[in-house]
Amino acid sequence: MSTRWYPIYQKGGPQLRVFLPNFWLKLIKPTTEQPANIVQFSCSMQMTKFDIKNYLEKIYNVNVVDVRTRIAMGKTKPDPGKGYIVKEEDEKIAYITLPKGEVFKFPDLFANEMKPEEERDKALKEAKEGHNKFLEKNKNRPSLPGWFNI
Amino acid sequence: MRLTNLLFSRVGKYSKDYSNLPDSYIKRAMEQVYWKNPKGPQYRPNAVVQRKKFHFDTERPWSAQFRQENSPNRHHKKIFVEPIKEWSFFRGDRVEVLVGKDKGKQGIVKQIIQERNWVLVEGLNCELKKLGDDKEFAGVYVQSEKPLLVTSEVSLVDPSDFATTGFEWRFTESGERVRVSTRTGRIIPTPPSAEETIDYKTKSTYKEQPKDTVADDVTEVTFEPRLATFEMDLMDKMGIKEDRVPPKSFWY
Amino acid sequence: MSTFAKIGGITRLLANSSISKVNNTCKLRSLSTTPCRRELMEFFDDEKNWGVQEVKSGRSWKSDELRLKSNTDLHKLWYVLLKERNMLLTMEEECKKETRLFPSPERLDKVEDSMKNLETVVRERNKAYHLLETGEKGERPRKLETNVLGLHYKYKMSEHPIPKHLNTKWKKQYEFYKYDKEVEMFREKLNEKNYLAKKKQHRREFNHVIGLLNRFPNMDMEALKQQYPEVDIEKAKNSRKYGGHFEPK
Repeated sequence: MSTRWYPIYQKGGPQLRVFLPNFWLKLIKPTTEQPANIVQFSCSMQMTKFDIKNYLEKIYNVNVVDVRTRIAMGKTKPDPGKGYIVKEEDEKIAYITLPKGEVFKFPDLFANEMKPEEERDKALKEAKEGHNKFLEKNKNRPSLPGWFNI
Repeated sequence: MRLTNLLFSRVGKYSKDYSNLPDSYIKRAMEQVYWKNPKGPQYRPNAVVQRKKFHFDTERPWSAQFRQENSPNRHHKKIFVEPIKEWSFFRGDRVEVLVGKDKGKQGIVKQIIQERNWVLVEGLNCELKKLGDDKEFAGVYVQSEKPLLVTSEVSLVDPSDFATTGFEWRFTESGERVRVSTRTGRIIPTPPSAEETIDYKTKSTYKEQPKDTVADDVTEVTFEPRLATFEMDLMDKMGIKEDRVPPKSFWY
Repeated sequence: MSTFAKIGGITRLLANSSISKVNNTCKLRSLSTTPCRRELMEFFDDEKNWGVQEVKSGRSWKSDELRLKSNTDLHKLWYVLLKERNMLLTMEEECKKETRLFPSPERLDKVEDSMKNLETVVRERNKAYHLLETGEKGERPRKLETNVLGLHYKYKMSEHPIPKHLNTKWKKQYEFYKYDKEVEMFREKLNEKNYLAKKKQHRREFNHVIGLLNRFPNMDMEALKQQYPEVDIEKAKNSRKYGGHFEPK
């Protein structure tokens, strides 16, 4: 049997077990301010509260006190190019409560980020500076060739 | 997607080899899906509105520049690309330029753009571009290679006498396919840099990354055949006992 | 094969087996409360990779390599890959929110490719078991059916606790084809539409070949034939579109 098709459950039958779950779970930055022990996740639409609790406890070793979920409707907006209305996908959002005293703060991932523009424009900037230096040097001796030095 | 559109919009093998990116990523980075049917039994499966024809240029299909060139309302003139039986120009090949201001000069193939039958030859057939000019500053000039057609604008060089030659694909006695110079009959070897990618020069000199599995662990055989399904085997190993028999069910 | 790279390592997994890890954390938890949860940090990439432009990675696991591994190893590898995918999705989402470029997005494809290959290997093993034991594949059965619009499709069967003749709900939901005059008319029109589309496609290819012949008179004809096997090249050469606007010699 395929790993994605499970037998139906009937009374008295064997317990259904999932060995290769393919649910995904994203930890997201809280959209509104939350208490320090609440963590916000975005998860697969099929996941139930029990699934989320088990998933975190068994796979990530996180103690979960409470799970609350909601389905956030995707935004409806005009397409940027064509102007017809498009709707983004709905997503399920889960709020996990950690045990008392445990705190989670969403880390700042871009605190020591390297600026890509700086690297790209570095050579150009240097060339510009060199040119300015050259102009500065030759300001008081017009119409003399560059190689002429005393 | 229609067959011809597929033919015109596919990315050639030799133009993506160097990037060492998985095909699914290239497809994902390139495609422009404007609308897709939601999943569900009430919807027609796989109904999708997307860009079908792509304009290939020197920009690589997974780059932002390519996306910009192929942005939704931009259309390009149809391009006829001469069919080639088999691609025979590889990275690192020595070729002679047959046209332009560098006519007669020899150089090394730097990049392949198979969708347009193009190669870039290192340092030859260049153009200068002015960058960053403003009122006070005249700008800097950047040199970049212009593409050359493999069908008519470059010719392979025979490494035995460094002169241009025609070639054909033949088998050696050991059953290997090689390019053979039609003028001298000598083999034109495929350069080692043909298998070079952005991540490694040769496969043996690959530098392992922290999340990589070591080759010994990959090739280690831990599989032992047992008369059990994957689930039964795992339950056995984990010590899960299950002797309830599933009640009868019907498939239809 | 050379030393090549995979996402996730079996060895590292075996080294810190899950059971010992659970015990340790339980002991720790009773002693003190942790200010920042280490386990939740598994949803984020290594701190060295925060805000960088590129993260290097190896290639994905191939099915041939996975076939060498035992079921237990595959099971463990699945969770490594699952965690890696969650981590990448989290990072991607955060980058998107902060309007930054997600470094090396091909990592996601590599992980997903590995997961797909792993599933095929598991499926293969289960199929082999079922074939040996029951003579059937043990997969979800399919049947060629005709729907109410008279179109053929593979109907995927499903499992039910009661037989078909008792299942009125299913009977109501799944209607298959019965002779209907209007459906026959629809099918005729659909066939015509498909035929015309095919013809149009063929004509387009034919004209494209003429365009190629006009532009590249010294073209390799075998290559042309190889690329457009359906086009009659002799016929294309006899077309009035072939040849330029000049007097024939």
